[in-house]
Amino acid sequence: MSRVVTRKDAEVAASVTPVGVGAYRRFLKRRSTLAVALVTPLIVLIGGLIVYPFFYAIYLSMLNKAETAVVGLANFRFLFTRDTFWMVVWQSTLFALTAVFFKALIGFILAHAIHVLPDRRQRFWRGVSLVPWVMPPALSTLGWWWLYDPTYSAFNWILGALFGVHVAWLSEPNWARFSVILVNVWYGAPFFLIMYLAALKSVPAGLYEAAEIDGANARQKLIYVTLPMMRNIIAITVLFSIIVTFANFDIVRVLTQGGPFNTTHLFGTYSFLLGIQSGDIPLGASVSLFMFPILGVLAFFILRNVRKRATEL
Amino acid sequence: MSQGASTKGNRRWALVTAYICLLVFAVFFLFPPYYMLITSFKTNEEISAQRGTPLLIQEGPTLEHYRKLFFETDFPIFFKNTVIVTFFTVIISMGVSVLAAYSLSRLRFWGATVMATGVFLTYLVPDTLLFIPLFKVVGWLGLLNSKWSLVVVFPTLAVPFATWIMIGYFASIPKELDEAALIDGAGHFQMLIRIFMPVAMPGIIAATIFCFTVSWAGFLYPLAFIYSNDQMVATVGTVSSLIRGDVFHWGGLMAGALVAAAPPVIIYAFLMDYYISGLTAGATKG
Amino acid sequence: MNRPEEHRQAKLTRRQVLKGTVAAAAIAGFPHVRTAHAAGEVTLGIWDHWVPGANDVMTQLCTEWGKQNKVEVKIDYITSIGFKDSLTAAAEARAKTGHDIISLATWQTTIHKSSLEPVDEQVKYLANKYGPITPDGEYCFKHDGRWMSLPAPAGGNHSYPMVSRLDLFQKHAGVDLKKVFPASKTRDKALVDAWNYDNFLKYCEKLHQAGFPYGNPIGPTSDSQDWLCPLFLSFGSVPADKDGKIMLDSDGTRMALEYVQKLVKFMPPDIYAWDDAGNNRWIISGKGSSIQNPPSAWTVAVRDQPKVAEQLWHHDVPRGPKGRFRGALPRGNGIWKFAKNKSAAKDLLVWLLEKDQQFKLITASKGYDVPFFPALFDHPIWAEIGPPVGGQYNYPIRGDETIIVGGYPSPQNMGAQIYTQALIPNLVAKVTKQGLAVNEAIKWAVGELEGYKRG
Repeated sequence: MSRVVTRKDAEVAASVTPVGVGAYRRFLKRRSTLAVALVTPLIVLIGGLIVYPFFYAIYLSMLNKAETAVVGLANFRFLFTRDTFWMVVWQSTLFALTAVFFKALIGFILAHAIHVLPDRRQRFWRGVSLVPWVMPPALSTLGWWWLYDPTYSAFNWILGALFGVHVAWLSEPNWARFSVILVNVWYGAPFFLIMYLAALKSVPAGLYEAAEIDGANARQKLIYVTLPMMRNIIAITVLFSIIVTFANFDIVRVLTQGGPFNTTHLFGTYSFLLGIQSGDIPLGASVSLFMFPILGVLAFFILRNVRKRATEL
Repeated sequence: MSQGASTKGNRRWALVTAYICLLVFAVFFLFPPYYMLITSFKTNEEISAQRGTPLLIQEGPTLEHYRKLFFETDFPIFFKNTVIVTFFTVIISMGVSVLAAYSLSRLRFWGATVMATGVFLTYLVPDTLLFIPLFKVVGWLGLLNSKWSLVVVFPTLAVPFATWIMIGYFASIPKELDEAALIDGAGHFQMLIRIFMPVAMPGIIAATIFCFTVSWAGFLYPLAFIYSNDQMVATVGTVSSLIRGDVFHWGGLMAGALVAAAPPVIIYAFLMDYYISGLTAGATKG
Repeated sequence: MNRPEEHRQAKLTRRQVLKGTVAAAAIAGFPHVRTAHAAGEVTLGIWDHWVPGANDVMTQLCTEWGKQNKVEVKIDYITSIGFKDSLTAAAEARAKTGHDIISLATWQTTIHKSSLEPVDEQVKYLANKYGPITPDGEYCFKHDGRWMSLPAPAGGNHSYPMVSRLDLFQKHAGVDLKKVFPASKTRDKALVDAWNYDNFLKYCEKLHQAGFPYGNPIGPTSDSQDWLCPLFLSFGSVPADKDGKIMLDSDGTRMALEYVQKLVKFMPPDIYAWDDAGNNRWIISGKGSSIQNPPSAWTVAVRDQPKVAEQLWHHDVPRGPKGRFRGALPRGNGIWKFAKNKSAAKDLLVWLLEKDQQFKLITASKGYDVPFFPALFDHPIWAEIGPPVGGQYNYPIRGDETIIVGGYPSPQNMGAQIYTQALIPNLVAKVTKQGLAVNEAIKWAVGELEGYKRG
């Protein structure tokens, strides 16, 4: 990198003379060598710690329980006959879609609420709102667990004092699902809030003024100006959140361990139950792998859309 | 900074609704940490009996749980380990991300776009799937039961998103800067250090804070790979030291959870603006 | 970077490798002449005992043994919270590197049997001295005719007797539990026989009416398996026989389900959400009259609610039509096939399982650990610890209870899944909570059992 290349050199090289072409080629090569060199650490990290284990996991999912023979897709075929497995599929989908919907909705509403405030007040509310997301989820879930505890729940105390009722937060299947989703929404909504707030700020004010001149009311401004401008960011955050929420492990693990009666199991926790607790690691790997194709297809379509729109803009 | 409100009345109504919304959600967001806080100051006796309201400390606050946490458990060791692991994870993650992001966004080469998307897609492979094959990898590296195993695996959690943020930032820097620098005789590496990094500093800070948060909160990997108390980190250590058999020391648990959760909150409080601007600018530009 | 970092807890003085001597063998008590292999280093990954101070005694004993045998002993204490110990065993088995001696929770010996070193000789030696290992231990540690792990010297066995409030049973159910299950060898057979599930149901009804129900979880937790599985066995309901033939669809199962349906009416509604500490909290709060648990609930009550603690009596479970069964959670210590110092590991474990060491460890655990060898049941602690004094005398089996693990007598492979996937509690909940017909529920359970037969 000690040889200095000037623009003049490049121009000279661009004219097709054998010597010039050689020099230009050397310049190109050097740049892409550097490019590859810079990317190598990333590739090594991802290759060794994500790609290789991923393929090993696929291999594992094709073994029998004792890991002595290859059985192809037998584990998957077995899972398809288990209604607990289909419960897990349905629960994971319900969990991911519901939680992401509410996180996005709350984030969107609060972003607008903060956006309306005078600047210096915004800092305070932004700060307050980000607390759930910054606390490590494994630890904040402990707090929620304490809040839901059947014997000592503060929520039940409040409900009891106000309405005389008592909710079985973690022992009724539907309440348990609600409780788990609630914790995830609590944890994830701030992320959406921050993303949407920034996106809101980057919508040019001129667009709103133009809309007003055309006589648009608040609702129409929202639909015709805000949402289209935010489409990309909405798509990306929703996709990212769906992927991450599908793979959730900590919340269910701490709160319900998949109970009551497997009604809150997600792929991650069910895989842990089958793999580590029951000792059938290939089956556990199969459960975990199941979501990959679905998410992959989803990611492909959404990202493709986003890229298309990005280039259009 | 209003959105072109027309009348004063409209604006006031908008403000009132905004404040109501914010207050409601502020209660929602802050109630669990508040409750954890007061529980950590209650005596064991008050916690296990059920008299009066649990929302306030009724029988006098106590520092007993914090005292026990710091002097009778290995919590200080856990905390120290978390600090060490996080420090190195952040350095490695940022190193890998910045270099890769620069390369993928500025140094056009064949396959760069595919790789950039591919990086994002590694999030599709969850840690709950990876940790079992990683037993083998970590064992092979001789790092089973060592905190250094975390320094190796945590970057996989942080690097993809950090790279993506950085790509967004770098991509938004005008190309003219490249060419001007080239004319002045700068090599690519010098360009990275002298020009890009200063301009993208908010994004770098944001990505750094993100790496920090992810590393600090890591739970499944330490649970899987570490079993000695002198190597354990705060998140797993709090849970495993303070839940003994089927006996839960709730006061201590809440104290430990809060102390272990505090550093990210504190760091974030000081660097909040950078965090938010970096996180979002990278995203909206990406 | 191949050895884990030194561990402060149990590092001892190093000595040169010495040839073994008969004297060393005599210290160990095991009739096996020590060879040079025994010297060097032994690493243990054993269960992190929750009783304060218990780990220290273990460390002390290992230090002593290490000095006498010129072996360096290193110990890691691994918790079972969050299945950490199972994760560690899984990690070491897969990475083929780790401790010499590894703690194996109830089903871990089954799961890792092909990676473990057989210990038949050691078991034979100990059984000759102290009596045969109790059936729950045999079920967990013996596979295909060979013993694949030894009982864990500390944290070995925890069983699930009933833990009841003497005052509440006296006042509302009219039963003097102290008289039925005294802290001595003399028992009134008639009274003990009258402690059966039919009568128990009546007592529960009365206690429920008085506002102090019996409480035990019905869920995926181990506490749930440890009372429901023995209950089913005592009605003659067996998931599968020892050859793997599914026997769940039987009259015994139907009787058990009908019984539990009636019993659940007198239990608090939250039991479906209780974690492993739920029943502890229930009895400590003073609202509960009885649970089934090892003495951990009592230990916390002593600290937090002493008035409740002094009324807690541990005693036998009720008898069903086909016998009296109590649930337990055996824990073993195994030696990996790839362990670096197998002979020293074997010697150390055997030494720790000898009476002198066992007595010290039982004392250190305050009687929480119950040994697998019947000759060790005469440790004085259970008669002495209190208040109430004698309340834990019946924690080790003193009467006619058969101690088993949920899943028994199915082949251990199936048992592991029956237990960890909570087959019996799920079956019960399908009937009591989801309102499924008994036959439907049994059909579902049989379908699950078919799936557990996969290898």
